[in-house]
Amino acid sequence: MERRTFMKLAGAAALSFEAAMPAIAQGKATVRWWYHYDNPQNTPASLVAKFEAENPDIKIQAEPIPWGGGTDYINRIFSSLVAGNQPDCAMVRLSYLSRFGQMKALEPLDGFLTNWKGRSDISDDVWKINRSPDGKQYYMPLHYVVIYLYYRQDLLQQAGLQPPKSFEDFLTAAKALTKDGIYGYGMRGGAGCHDNWGPFVLGGGASFDKGGMITEKAFAANRWFVDLAVKHKVVPPSAPTDAFRQIVDAFKAGRTGMAIHHIGSVAEVVGALGDKVSAVPVPRGPDGGGWTYFGDESNAIFAGSKNKEAAFRWISFLSSAENNAEQAKLSGQLPITISDAKNWTVHPKRFVEASDASLPIAKPLPDHVKTPDFVGRVLPTNLQRALTGGMNPDDLMKAVELTFYG
Amino acid sequence: MNKATASGAMLRAATPYGFLLPALLVTALVILFPVLQTAWYSLHEYVLYDPDNFRFVGLRNFATALSDEVFWIALLNSAIWVSGIVFLQLLLGLGAALLLNQSFWWRGMARALVIIPWALPSVIIGLMWTWIYDFNLGVFNDILLRIGLISAPHPWLAQPSTALACIMLALVWQGFPFFTVTILAGLQTVPHELYEAAEIDGANSWRQFLHVTLPSIAGIVATAVLLRIIWVANSLDVILVMTGGGPGYATHTLPLYAFLRAYTGMEFGYAASLSLMLTAILLGIVWLYVRRQAGEMER
Repeated sequence: MERRTFMKLAGAAALSFEAAMPAIAQGKATVRWWYHYDNPQNTPASLVAKFEAENPDIKIQAEPIPWGGGTDYINRIFSSLVAGNQPDCAMVRLSYLSRFGQMKALEPLDGFLTNWKGRSDISDDVWKINRSPDGKQYYMPLHYVVIYLYYRQDLLQQAGLQPPKSFEDFLTAAKALTKDGIYGYGMRGGAGCHDNWGPFVLGGGASFDKGGMITEKAFAANRWFVDLAVKHKVVPPSAPTDAFRQIVDAFKAGRTGMAIHHIGSVAEVVGALGDKVSAVPVPRGPDGGGWTYFGDESNAIFAGSKNKEAAFRWISFLSSAENNAEQAKLSGQLPITISDAKNWTVHPKRFVEASDASLPIAKPLPDHVKTPDFVGRVLPTNLQRALTGGMNPDDLMKAVELTFYG
Repeated sequence: MNKATASGAMLRAATPYGFLLPALLVTALVILFPVLQTAWYSLHEYVLYDPDNFRFVGLRNFATALSDEVFWIALLNSAIWVSGIVFLQLLLGLGAALLLNQSFWWRGMARALVIIPWALPSVIIGLMWTWIYDFNLGVFNDILLRIGLISAPHPWLAQPSTALACIMLALVWQGFPFFTVTILAGLQTVPHELYEAAEIDGANSWRQFLHVTLPSIAGIVATAVLLRIIWVANSLDVILVMTGGGPGYATHTLPLYAFLRAYTGMEFGYAASLSLMLTAILLGIVWLYVRRQAGEMER
């Protein structure tokens, strides 16, 4: 063999060897992951350490992003996508899927999922809910919560009342609890108000389908909800701008008798009130219908990521048995894996039961490009106007309809 | 003039421009380019989550803004916001500067303390004042209840009638030290002989203030007011933290509205047109100031 031929062959062999090696093996891949926890003091450091020990070729850069009622978090993700500075992967919600789809921002996971052993530990129903309308799977389910009704069982007992099951029961209880500087219901009119508005207005007959916000039934349900503040005055006067922190603090301080949130705030609430507090599904509407918010959370890999394989290893690690349980402890939510959900004892039983009992009426927000705008701007602004008398409640419903079908 | 002298003169003439050129280039890059880009976007329908539908729409975004109820609410709020805050900051800053210009034993410490609100980040100011006004736990309600001015806590930030004024108060507190420090610097340049002469002429303290102090610091005050108008008109961080623009549109100002349309709605074309309108208004104010300054220089 001539020297020149040998050199050519050796060069080609070296190049083909490099090309054949998986991308992450060429050096230590760094995966940037954006997350948020309701309790910002919680950190995924132990999960990161465990993953890095199992995957020495990958470094995880976990970046906590402020939630801000959801709007800060999602605005940051969309902005980073536009700027081309997005992380490799991040926690995401179903209601963002359409907008991500329009931005062509996500990497389909179907190829990765084919060979992933943990797939069967997540129920088929969850996979189905998370599937994109184009038939592809962009989301790796992570955990979930369901919005329910916290109530002060001691105060209701004193008033001789049962936990409310219907709107009528709820109003009766709210009126009975409103006295001596205590308000019956800690309404959330500020950031994230959709999860307080939805159970009463969507549960009362409104819907996100075309024309669903402007039926007589929908108008009536919304008027009923607004009247809790305007007519019956069973909510604190600060309700129009109260957000997560205010409603939870007021409930913990005993200034409200009922509040609508999810199991993520159990540690705080039980820490302050102990056995005085319990939970039930949100009340049902006059015709027996109900709606509560299915607070899903998944991980997704962004199409612009240069470390997709490494990112998949990380997000699949978080959705695998045991790790998913650890992750759920940090987020305060419920594990998505079947094996971790069995015999879940992290939260007191009564709150897990209230979550489970809420599942039949639990739905995510619509998968629509305008949903983030509805959550972040349209509903809070118009609800606040209606609650402070600056707008006819029916116009609020027209504004919501216009947002989705204008 | 020989050739060497002529080229030397040209070099001398060009030197200032040479020194200014880097600054001009940087300014063009970081200010002029984004402004032109914003102007370009304002003529388009540009929704960030739908970048493939980037369409030229001419002046339609501006026409939409003029028929948008929220634009007019935000414009009115901006006018109240800027005039109220700058006036109160100037008043408070002037008073504090006059006090700090006096001689007293802890003057050094007082001068250092007064700067603290100015040194705090706006987000901290917003969070701090949000808790001060809190319905359940806020000290503002607590103080008013204790002194008997109110009989029940008031939701200061949740009522459209009080929300804007409450945020303005927070910003007045944060920004008055700027006037204090600027005016104090001006006061220290007023020649003492002027006061001695005024005193000999029989002028009392008020007349000295009116005829000596105020004319001497007028230029500084005008510049400080102009800067403050621009900063306050553009500021949105404190509002964003304290109310997010609510309740309803009660605390929406023009930059906040543009911000919300840009970052929540992702409607960059429309948000760009709102920003340009604000820029045009501010440029009008700057033009008035420059014309006034030029007039004074000619005198």
